[in-house]
Amino acid sequence: MIADFRFSPGEFLAPAVDWLNANLHGLFVLISQVVEAVLGVVERALLAPHPYVLIGIVFVAAFIFATKRVAVFAALMLAFCLFSGLWVASMQTIALVSVAVLISVAIAFPLGVLAARVKRVDDAFLPILNIMQTVPPWVYLIPAVILFSLGRVPAIIATIVYGIPPMLRLTTLAFKQLPKDLLELGQASGASPRDILFKIELPTAAPTLLVGLNQCILMSLAMVVLAGLVGAGGLGAEVTRGLSRMEMGLGLRAGLAIVAIALLLDRLSRGALQRHSPSKMV
Amino acid sequence: MNTPDFSSQFDEAIDSALGWLADHGEFIFDAANAVLTGVYKAVLWCVAFPPFYVIAALFALLGWRAVGTRFAIVSGLALLFCALIGLWPETVSTLALVLTATILALVVAIPLGVVAGLAPAFDRVVDPCLDLVQTMPPYIYLLPAIALLGYGPATALLATFIVALAPALRLTSLGIRMTPKHFIELGDASGVTGLQMFFKIRLPFAMPSIMAGVNQSLMMAFGMVVIAGIVGSGGLGESIYGAVRTLDIAKSINAAIAIVILTMILDRLAQSAVRSRTGEAQ
Repeated sequence: MIADFRFSPGEFLAPAVDWLNANLHGLFVLISQVVEAVLGVVERALLAPHPYVLIGIVFVAAFIFATKRVAVFAALMLAFCLFSGLWVASMQTIALVSVAVLISVAIAFPLGVLAARVKRVDDAFLPILNIMQTVPPWVYLIPAVILFSLGRVPAIIATIVYGIPPMLRLTTLAFKQLPKDLLELGQASGASPRDILFKIELPTAAPTLLVGLNQCILMSLAMVVLAGLVGAGGLGAEVTRGLSRMEMGLGLRAGLAIVAIALLLDRLSRGALQRHSPSKMV
Repeated sequence: MNTPDFSSQFDEAIDSALGWLADHGEFIFDAANAVLTGVYKAVLWCVAFPPFYVIAALFALLGWRAVGTRFAIVSGLALLFCALIGLWPETVSTLALVLTATILALVVAIPLGVVAGLAPAFDRVVDPCLDLVQTMPPYIYLLPAIALLGYGPATALLATFIVALAPALRLTSLGIRMTPKHFIELGDASGVTGLQMFFKIRLPFAMPSIMAGVNQSLMMAFGMVVIAGIVGSGGLGESIYGAVRTLDIAKSINAAIAIVILTMILDRLAQSAVRSRTGEAQ
């Protein structure tokens, strides 16, 4: 019987992973410690002020950088997280998302600019990005868990990898779509390449870049929540607890808090986008 | 934290509400559960009854018709590979879940999308709902589903149904609205009936967009079905969940490979359907 013949690539790969874990243990521990340290700092910064103070800061910041409506909305969403009794978990989730998004953008942005300039790089990225965006998010967690065990570190690494494709794609798009006449104007007026990048290309590309950032944030949030399953803590862990213990009240509260955070992050990044759009016309 | 304690009241309210629903609406949920499980079982029987090489050959045939010879060979071999690594039953039940949920979602989403495309008032109501549905991390949809239907494939189907609904609905209504004006005027001028206008003019123009929606729905459904493994949906999602929880590296790698294979095949097939429709419209 053919069906009796079994072949398991995992059986071959498992020793390789074991070898990695045994020999590069130091490296993984180092990465884990760096990630934990950065996360710890962000988390402490978010949890240090009294919740009301933090809500006030966010309100003022949103008022300055976005619009009044966004500011009120953001404050309401944060207040909801506070009154649902999940303030600490919410802040943990926000810390995870913000660190992951920062690293994703730091990786994706230069690569995206490179892909927009060099056609061969773009061609090489395209199939990889297609695959990365097709594969279900669950799959990203597996290698991360294999290498970094359970906890926040695999969660954040899977989230970073998951957040890169949308940002990279839209960065490339943004820089490819730049109107030629503006670039030629820059060259004709003798601007240095650095001036062209910062004074012409970046402002013109900003709306598309912000769309990429918005997508990156929302996908990262989805991943961070899912990572509650591998012990990432935060709201995802509360949802998981609610699901596995059938404590529907807790699960629903955590779910609603996640919705609040999703809406908060979405509106904040979109508010910045709307603020930015008119400047394109100038 | 000295914030008012709304959470315990909320939890009690939810618990009693769910208790009330379970007491008074049990027959509805039992019926829904039975119907969903029944449909799933029927689809599962269709794909699980033939031996694995028949299904692989069928997919190869479909791939040959839709995409090309090379894709046909690769997808046939890839499915045989799924059987070879001993995950055929799981692969088949994942496939059955995805297909069932997508078909159910399309049956609801396409007519609603057509209505939304034709009636702007309805569209204004639906659009913000869709925004909300698409902003939330998919993981959350498991909560109400599990609260009402309990563990099992029906819960996975319900959550997947919600997630798959949004893109198909949105792109259908977009496609219907995008019919070029002069063709509608042409139809009016030549005195077609309302039905002819819809089936002969609007629908063909909307087809590429609708097919793109089908593709997106399918991919969203796939992502969700894998996540739904944690509520006992069976299939690859559940084997990955089990393997990750127990840190069984070999098994989780195998299951991840099977998921990637299945995703790639379904995505390519659906994309080729989009492309052939686009070609026809042009």
